[in-house]
Amino acid sequence: MIKLIEKIEGEAKLNFHFKNNKIDNVDVDFMSTRHIEDILKGKSPLDALVINPRVCGICGHAHLIATVRALEDCYESIEISNKAKIIRELTLNFELIQNHFKWFYLTIFPLFGFKQNVMKAVIPSQLMGKAIALFGGQYPHTSYAIVGGVVCEITQMDLIKLGHYIDETIQFFEKNLLDVDVQMLQDCDNVMNVLSKSGDLVDVLHLIEKNGWLEYGKSYDRFIVFGESSYFTKGKSIKTRVMHNLFLEDVIESVSTTSFAKSVHYHGKYYEVGPLSRAMVKKTPLIKDAHKKYTDSIFTRILARVCEISQLLLHCKSLITELDLSEPSYIKPKMDITSLNSSGSSAVEAARGTLIHKVVIEDSLIKSYEIITPTQWNLCGGVNENHGVSQKAMIGLENIEIAELVFKSFDVCSVCTTH
Amino acid sequence: MKKKVRILWLGLMTCNGNTHSFLNYPHLEQFFNDFEFIYHPIIDSEYSLEDIISQDIACDVLLIEGAIADDFIKADVLGIDIIKKYSKIVSKIVTVGTCATFGGIFKESHYKNVSGLHFREDKRTEKYNHLFEKTISISGCPIHPETLVSTLYAIKKGLSLKLDSYLRPKDYFAYTVHNGCTRNEYFEYKVDNHHFGELEGCMFYDHGCQGPLTHGSCNKILWNEINSKTRAGLPCMGCTEPSFPKQNLFSTKKNMGIPEFLPVGVNKRVYLTLAGITKAFKIDRLQKKLLDD
Ligand code: SF4
Ligand code: SF4
Repeated sequence: MIKLIEKIEGEAKLNFHFKNNKIDNVDVDFMSTRHIEDILKGKSPLDALVINPRVCGICGHAHLIATVRALEDCYESIEISNKAKIIRELTLNFELIQNHFKWFYLTIFPLFGFKQNVMKAVIPSQLMGKAIALFGGQYPHTSYAIVGGVVCEITQMDLIKLGHYIDETIQFFEKNLLDVDVQMLQDCDNVMNVLSKSGDLVDVLHLIEKNGWLEYGKSYDRFIVFGESSYFTKGKSIKTRVMHNLFLEDVIESVSTTSFAKSVHYHGKYYEVGPLSRAMVKKTPLIKDAHKKYTDSIFTRILARVCEISQLLLHCKSLITELDLSEPSYIKPKMDITSLNSSGSSAVEAARGTLIHKVVIEDSLIKSYEIITPTQWNLCGGVNENHGVSQKAMIGLENIEIAELVFKSFDVCSVCTTH
Repeated sequence: MKKKVRILWLGLMTCNGNTHSFLNYPHLEQFFNDFEFIYHPIIDSEYSLEDIISQDIACDVLLIEGAIADDFIKADVLGIDIIKKYSKIVSKIVTVGTCATFGGIFKESHYKNVSGLHFREDKRTEKYNHLFEKTISISGCPIHPETLVSTLYAIKKGLSLKLDSYLRPKDYFAYTVHNGCTRNEYFEYKVDNHHFGELEGCMFYDHGCQGPLTHGSCNKILWNEINSKTRAGLPCMGCTEPSFPKQNLFSTKKNMGIPEFLPVGVNKRVYLTLAGITKAFKIDRLQKKLLDD
């Protein structure tokens, strides 16, 4: 039985195979592609900073940051001020936050029988858009992070405004999603404390319990995070065992015969990426507790994504205090990038998980460019024995509606996947 | 209950950037009192994409986002077949974004005849000539949300909009992006020592700013209500124009020290004369940092 899954930044086709009334296999098919990697070939390296945000309307900023880091990786050494590094981290975090609000209120909320709440999605995401625009000039589709730093200069006055955007978003979180002081939530290590509160997140979690869905959505219980920042830690977690030495070279992308999306594995294995993975590798107390009780089910996955909002907001507040405005925003690289014959790569944590960019520069132009998106990790899968992460999570379910919920719990992005 | 204007938002070869930019419109609640989507890429709608494809649903305005190609498939049908069907049903078509208007970034993809609805870059495509009268273009990568929403209101009210030769409302596209940029003084007096990461300086002379040759409202109606690329210190990439994206976007192409592309309507002689005069003077205030003593 084929179902068209709509409104996931595009569409995907799921072909369900049933055996004894249970889903026995699912083929995930993305139906088109836009050839961005080919479009980049032969362009001037810096132009990638303008083209790549256009991979995706909702996580284009992560593509910008991945691009600038991959280009900077082409240098043997390049100096970036601490201030520029912090600003880049801030704006990337803001993008993650707006994404999570949109995902919860536009995608997840309606699957639990509530009316889609566009205003609750846009009020906080507009605030985060302003916070990015303060540095980048606009959101979406700024290219303000360039090789050597960021183009903007900011003042104390800007930081006052920024503080308001963040505080208002925190208040919105507390008032709507979960009525707990975000600071206390940070230290909370018992998911029961969350369930005893009120808010839209709590309503959804209660429904998962009440409907008997706590077992749904479990996959390999294998998580991976490549992007490092002052908040996220690189590593992989296999059934709570965390290891930190990972090698980008061992990430393999392979072409699928059935879909435009290519599949991605690490040492031959599929891993889940995204907020749940980040929390597992970072050992966030609340998510660890939920995982202990419900492992990698939709309960834990949804909780992890929503709680990442408050964690990142608080982290941004502390990052701002580390900004030294007297540092330069931009340090002109000693060599022009077009004078390099080199290659570079980067890994960035985007809203949906690890995003990898690889570039080769030759004769002052881009020779090749490769983009591996988070949704590829989560959704692309193999055939039969070697199921992808989301396939595995849907197998064994009895009905297609639940399978759609499980699928969407990964926060699928069709446009990214079909770049 | 008053009748709402019914919109079909059709995403073709797109990144969804316009969809998300639209969500930044500050008065969306107001908008939803007056408009409803029969289909939208992320907002819930009465009909599914499958309904839209299999039935003929009543609709007033067709919004097309993304580049159009003869062989681009959307949910198992040709994207152009959806356009063909609904362009007959609706009374207005709006191309949303530079891809849908001129082909944009994705005109370089491998599909057949990739273009905007009526233009491939600045050339007319002829194929949809019969729809020309019905169409308004809102270019931009992405569109500015206010530009789109106010145009939809103008359609609702039956206002006759003045359009430029690319069918863009002059209310927004008669301005250049340069108009209203906080770096204007540095442009006027030809202070050509801009460095990235500074409040001061104009990016026209060295860093590829296309503000003076780009039609758009970026510095008239700010982005996210607070800022613009050029104010922040990022050169305008000319994203509302047929030529977007040009190449070498961070540097100014020059012939014998003179920028190859001059401000809209300014010929080389005028430019050189003015440049000669301003260059003869040095304005100390503009050589210093803004916030220094
Ligand atoms: S930076 Fe660009 S938009 Fe601003 S004044 Fe200079 S040329 Fe005009
Ligand atoms: S400043 Fe230029 S590149 Fe930026 S949005 Fe406006 S028209 Fe597009």
